Amino acid sequence: MIAAALRYDLPRDLDEALALLSQDPATTRLLGGGTWLVPELNRGVVNADRRVVDLRRAGLGEIRADGDVIHVGATCSYAALEASELIASRLPLLHAMAVGVTGGRQIRNQGTIGGSVAAARPQSDAPGALCALDAAAVIAGPGGTRRVAVVELLSGAMRTTLRRDEILVGFEIEQPGGGHGYHKLKRAAGSWPIATAAAILRLDGDGLIDRATLVLGGVCATPLVVPVADVMAGHRIDDDLIAAAAQCAADAVTEPWCDELATGRYRAAVARPVAHRALIAAQSAAIQQRRSQL
Amino acid sequence: MSTETTIRVELTLDGVARTAEVPSGALLVEALREDFGTTGPKLGCATGDCGACTVRRDGEIVKSCLELAAGAQGCEIVTIEGLADGDELSPVQQAFWDEQAFQCGFCLSGMVFAAEDLLRSNPRPTDDEIRWAISGNLCRCTGYEAIVEAVRTAARRMAPPAG
Amino acid sequence: MSATEVVDGKLYAGASVRRHDGDRYLRGRVAYTDDIVLPGMVHAVLVRSELAHARIVGVDADAAREQPGVLAVLSGAELARHAGPIPNAMDPVPVGGQPIALHCLPVDKVVYAGQPVAVVVAETRTAALAAAELVAVSLEALPVVLDAEAALADGAPLLYEEWGTNLLLSGTAGEGDYDAVAAASDHRIDGAITTGRSAPAPMEPRAYIADWDAREERMTWYGTTQAPHPLRHSLAGYLGLRERQIHVVAPPVGGSFGYKNFGHPEEYLVCLLSRLVERPVKFVEDRMSSLRYGAKDTRMTFQAAFDADGRVRAVSCALLANHGAAAATGAFGMAFAASLALPSGYALEAFHGEYRLAVTNKGPWSPMRPFGKETASLLMERVMDLVAERTGLDPADVRRRNWIPADRFPYATTTGLELDSGDYAGLLDKVLEVWDYPAARVEQTRAREDGRLLGIGFGFEVLPEGADIPGALIGASDISTVRMDPSGEVEVLTGVTSPGNGNDTAIMQIVADRLGVLMSEVRIVQGDTERCPFGFGNVSSRGILTGGGSAALAADDIAVKLRRVAGAMLEVDAERIVLHGGMAAVADEPERALPLGVVAHSLYTIGGILVPDLEPTLESTRTFQMRNVRHHPDEHGRIMPFSTFSNGLYVALVEVDPATGVIELQRHVMAHDCGVMINPRFVAGQFTGGVVTGLGAALDEEVVHDADGVQRTDVFKSYLLPRATDVPRFEMVHQVTPSPFTPLGTKGAGEGGVACSMAALLNAVNDALRPLGAQVDELPLTPERVLDAILEARA
Repeated sequence: MIAAALRYDLPRDLDEALALLSQDPATTRLLGGGTWLVPELNRGVVNADRRVVDLRRAGLGEIRADGDVIHVGATCSYAALEASELIASRLPLLHAMAVGVTGGRQIRNQGTIGGSVAAARPQSDAPGALCALDAAAVIAGPGGTRRVAVVELLSGAMRTTLRRDEILVGFEIEQPGGGHGYHKLKRAAGSWPIATAAAILRLDGDGLIDRATLVLGGVCATPLVVPVADVMAGHRIDDDLIAAAAQCAADAVTEPWCDELATGRYRAAVARPVAHRALIAAQSAAIQQRRSQL
Repeated sequence: MSTETTIRVELTLDGVARTAEVPSGALLVEALREDFGTTGPKLGCATGDCGACTVRRDGEIVKSCLELAAGAQGCEIVTIEGLADGDELSPVQQAFWDEQAFQCGFCLSGMVFAAEDLLRSNPRPTDDEIRWAISGNLCRCTGYEAIVEAVRTAARRMAPPAG
Repeated sequence: MSATEVVDGKLYAGASVRRHDGDRYLRGRVAYTDDIVLPGMVHAVLVRSELAHARIVGVDADAAREQPGVLAVLSGAELARHAGPIPNAMDPVPVGGQPIALHCLPVDKVVYAGQPVAVVVAETRTAALAAAELVAVSLEALPVVLDAEAALADGAPLLYEEWGTNLLLSGTAGEGDYDAVAAASDHRIDGAITTGRSAPAPMEPRAYIADWDAREERMTWYGTTQAPHPLRHSLAGYLGLRERQIHVVAPPVGGSFGYKNFGHPEEYLVCLLSRLVERPVKFVEDRMSSLRYGAKDTRMTFQAAFDADGRVRAVSCALLANHGAAAATGAFGMAFAASLALPSGYALEAFHGEYRLAVTNKGPWSPMRPFGKETASLLMERVMDLVAERTGLDPADVRRRNWIPADRFPYATTTGLELDSGDYAGLLDKVLEVWDYPAARVEQTRAREDGRLLGIGFGFEVLPEGADIPGALIGASDISTVRMDPSGEVEVLTGVTSPGNGNDTAIMQIVADRLGVLMSEVRIVQGDTERCPFGFGNVSSRGILTGGGSAALAADDIAVKLRRVAGAMLEVDAERIVLHGGMAAVADEPERALPLGVVAHSLYTIGGILVPDLEPTLESTRTFQMRNVRHHPDEHGRIMPFSTFSNGLYVALVEVDPATGVIELQRHVMAHDCGVMINPRFVAGQFTGGVVTGLGAALDEEVVHDADGVQRTDVFKSYLLPRATDVPRFEMVHQVTPSPFTPLGTKGAGEGGVACSMAALLNAVNDALRPLGAQVDELPLTPERVLDAILEARA
């Protein structure tokens, strides 16, 4: 039971949502799926919150393609991502992430991708996957709309550069091509991920790597973009190269995240195998994808 | 900005149009239990982890401890109390009884809805699919084995006769 | 089989009859405590301490009292004017422990983070919560001690200064001269095992309602309790009322596992509050509160002496358990039970055990299945595997060599228990029937050649159950009433309660068989002190033992009468009457039969004509008592407080990921023996549930505190109960070795599977790690601990 009296609004479009938010941004919370915010309100973590603006009917749940760019609305649930053929065919990494979200069908029905990014929990699945896809966040505010890379938006554990009078509207993602791998290490089905790795590898016509992306989630306070392109780009893919890239991931972890489920030491120790598994999966997907194009 | 301490919520509950005054900060599960008098959904954690509060909202299963009651305005809510067709238990309910798929019964609301939801989209699930489908729900009594059995039994009974 | 089917020539007992009231559960129509709403009911919300150890300087409730809807705000000091300390469910003093005297809210200091310090009562929960935020508690921080060893060190901060120590209880168990036997043995091994702190965590948190009727001066209490009658006695003592002034109702509970026995402060608090505000008062705890109650958290060190042939001759061990804050629930008994359960089902020449139980600034211990006995399994099963490793023998063979042989029961153990019956080697044979063990070892060897870490681990348990504790309201006896009305319908009233395990249905099966009625004609009433005869509730796996035993005796009394009346009506000797399928029939002449309703009606109406010397009623109240317990100390000062000893042998096959330390449980084969099973499906459910509790404790579940004593695992996202995808399909086989001491041959079944699963996993993971020279001895076997062990071995 949330002891404080709460004002609830369900705006029908973005302008209405922005207008409601602008009345008193300091005491207003935006509700995406509620899977994080509602328990937080219930535990009375932030007593100043007096108003909830529920974004789920504000028209921010669309998934559409605009040329090479795919727009994913902030209030898309994991279930909506899972069910979208567009996502499955053009952003299979995002599909793989959504399908694997734990907590049951209920959580995949309720949890939203925008909510996950806004909550900015280090252990969440979605931020890392979006960073691997070089997703741009579309943010609406009193002064209009701005775009910022998700990796820039996430400024720390439970921290973003979103201002209190702004609304995260959605994401713009270019179809990366190539093949992806997604690997998640958990303590048990009920635990937050300890570490996730999202990898994308793309091969050119000569079979050389022309795109290599690896992002670790859960390992640091914010998704860790591993500079694997430095070692992989232009090379022919093989086991040694993948091992080198995975080592790159381990080397990149300098300030690992620590919580009650795992120490930073453990997270740093599993960065390499988790990265390695995602890269292996991405390798076979990339090879397969290239074969299908030949 | 004036904030009311109670709000009026109108919704369809187990097929019946209902209205209640609920505290403005009430979770949906609290409003269902305390203000609408439907105690089938249980409050086991209030963090969305145990699943005992699961209901079907506008055709989708949700954990009602993660929803504000205010957000259920105009929604169609089905609880475990509304699943049976008169005297007839749903096939899933019946299978849970026949296969002894519960002990204390506190998790039932969630387990039954998770199973119903699975069988709607996947009438012939494998054991792994069943386990995945109920993995958002905790049970401390059964070890899940009998629940998996019950879902399998329900699927078998719901399958159209061969040929 | 449904309750309405006619069982032609067959008995209900032994059949997996489904729950008699399952449809009510499946329709969501069962009223648990929090579902109950009483007219005028108000709500209690607790204000909790943020510090783990602090002196209470003051509680300022003025602002809270002025809030709308607030009826009362009280601190521990204010409540202490109305009542003294809570009676202890079990008193540690008679077994050499410290006196526990806890108020329902602490008066002068808090001893764990999250401990309630004040209570708000208001018209609504919302109002109470809002007012609770305004209660200003002034605390003066004291040094915090969280580790048991540190708590017992000189100069440690004392939780209960009047004790002069943090040692709540200590003692020894066993007989024989360990040193002498060890000196005569070929080898010795040393080892240590640590268990993390678990939480019982039933799905339903605790909930209580007290309703004081000032006009009648009567208290009606509704709540999550396993033991209505003992609680009534305890409440009466606390409130200064007579037991007849208190009516305890125990609605169905959403799981107990020991957590809902009695002795929790809020059980008493709601009564005081209801008397003060003269309104029904409800308290429902939240999940954070429930996860603060724990168990295990025990460090065991051991030495075992053995011969080259694998024969273990003597074991010496020391247990140090961390109780957290003191509790009135009798949780301390888990340390005592652990010591008695040693050395499990193995025949040793000498055993010496020492145990110490320390209080620390963690939340209190709570009773939790299997009540400390996991310690005995973990220790002895680790010994067996270490002996196998050292001797090069197969772990299965080492166990065979050391088990108490099946022909030596009843068997007196070195800790003074008299084990009733068993065939432990038979369990191994049963396992080998469903699992090709030699082939699994071959596969393991092959996998190791590929760098894969497969491990096989055995876990065996013997569970002392059916406790009968001198001086406590925990007994291996119970009372049941069985009555048949003139329509032939049967009512069973029993003092045992059901935590949801189906014992109500099983007792109905027993009674229906004895009376030859259909189960649909039987109903059962439990959990109500005004309706049911006195009973000890459900603790120590005794529901069928004593509830079923006493109901069987009472039903037999009625059956005798029915036979006599039917015999008179059918003009045959009563001995020739068979009661079955709702009929009283002449043996071998089924056409000569009368419906039992007619027989019953005849007894009540013309009994004086038919059988003049028979009391014309169909009601009997009988007690069943286990006779193999002994409260008089033997020459070593030992009592025998347990009455049955179910047992099990589990084998786990795991694969350990050497890169991450993640454990995958691939196979879990379970052979168990709880004697005769009244309802095999219910029994299986107990074991599959126990297994998952054991797997949780072995792999995932762990309560963690920060350095200041604040609990960091207070939700199910961090305290990780196993989910359906975390566990494999279990393979279960039954063995039935009846107890010679119970009328139906049954034994307890409520605590099985936890201990041997923990032991099997510990052994399996160590078996998997052996090629690396790595070893883990701390549960849960988190990936981090396993990886640490691997990295350490490689370094």
